Amino acid sequence: MREEVLRQYNRQGSFRFMTMLRKPSLLIVDDEPNVLLTLKLVLEEDGYQISTAGSFAEAEKLMTASGRFDAVLTDLWMEKEDIGLELARSASKLKPRPVIVIFTGYGSATNARAAMGVPVDYFALKPLDVDELKRVLNRLVVAKSEGLRWL
Amino acid sequence: MSEWRGTKFALVVHPELSVLTQYQTLLSTNGFSTVVARDLPTALLAITQHYFDLAIVSSQLGEAGDGWPLAGVLHLVFPNAYIGVLVPGADLLTLQSAINSGVQEVYEITQSPQSVVSAAIAAAKLAESRKPSSEGSLQ
Repeated sequence: MREEVLRQYNRQGSFRFMTMLRKPSLLIVDDEPNVLLTLKLVLEEDGYQISTAGSFAEAEKLMTASGRFDAVLTDLWMEKEDIGLELARSASKLKPRPVIVIFTGYGSATNARAAMGVPVDYFALKPLDVDELKRVLNRLVVAKSEGLRWL
Repeated sequence: MSEWRGTKFALVVHPELSVLTQYQTLLSTNGFSTVVARDLPTALLAITQHYFDLAIVSSQLGEAGDGWPLAGVLHLVFPNAYIGVLVPGADLLTLQSAINSGVQEVYEITQSPQSVVSAAIAAAKLAESRKPSSEGSLQ
């Protein structure tokens, strides 16, 4: 089995195959437990390995401890206004850089422009369209893992 | 690719010929080989024929908002390219479209082509210098 995996990997030279060997990992951050639970259930069903955090501090701790997430999805307003942007900035410094998604019920031109400066990969307004989120996340995570070929 | 050198290609997509001419002149002066397109099919054809380092796209080509999917395609095909979009106003939904299309900056259509080109080139150079050296060797 292992030999077959290695043979296929050598033939394809692709991280797409490697990512198929493990579940992509997501960190979901929101101070509303209901949102966390719903997103966890929905995205777990899609084959992701989910970690959750209820605050900026908790998320930072997880990012430092785990070292690697394929994507970080965070609410914008939690214990502090626009603190999701700070988390996005921290996540953008991780290596490899995860896909960064921000969702908010308090979107404004100001915080959207700030998100653009991070830069954030996807900016969603609440209420979330879960099907769209799943589709976009899949595209971004696959594109990111494919991109690793070149690094 | 940590330095800004060699022949760089730019794509400008805008429905007005006079605007395209201005952008082409300005970008050529700044060392870009510039390809222009007035509509989506021409822009898509250009994408198949060149590797673009910079693109300036109007958010309104045939109709309002049809420039966004093109910007998204440019981001997918040329992930290291700098993409700026000309918009009628930078409100929340416009900025959301920009982020979700992988656009680096939006410029109001009232801005002069000169200021857009200066800002775009400066931002592209900055982004290039911030990239890890290996990431620039995508091409």
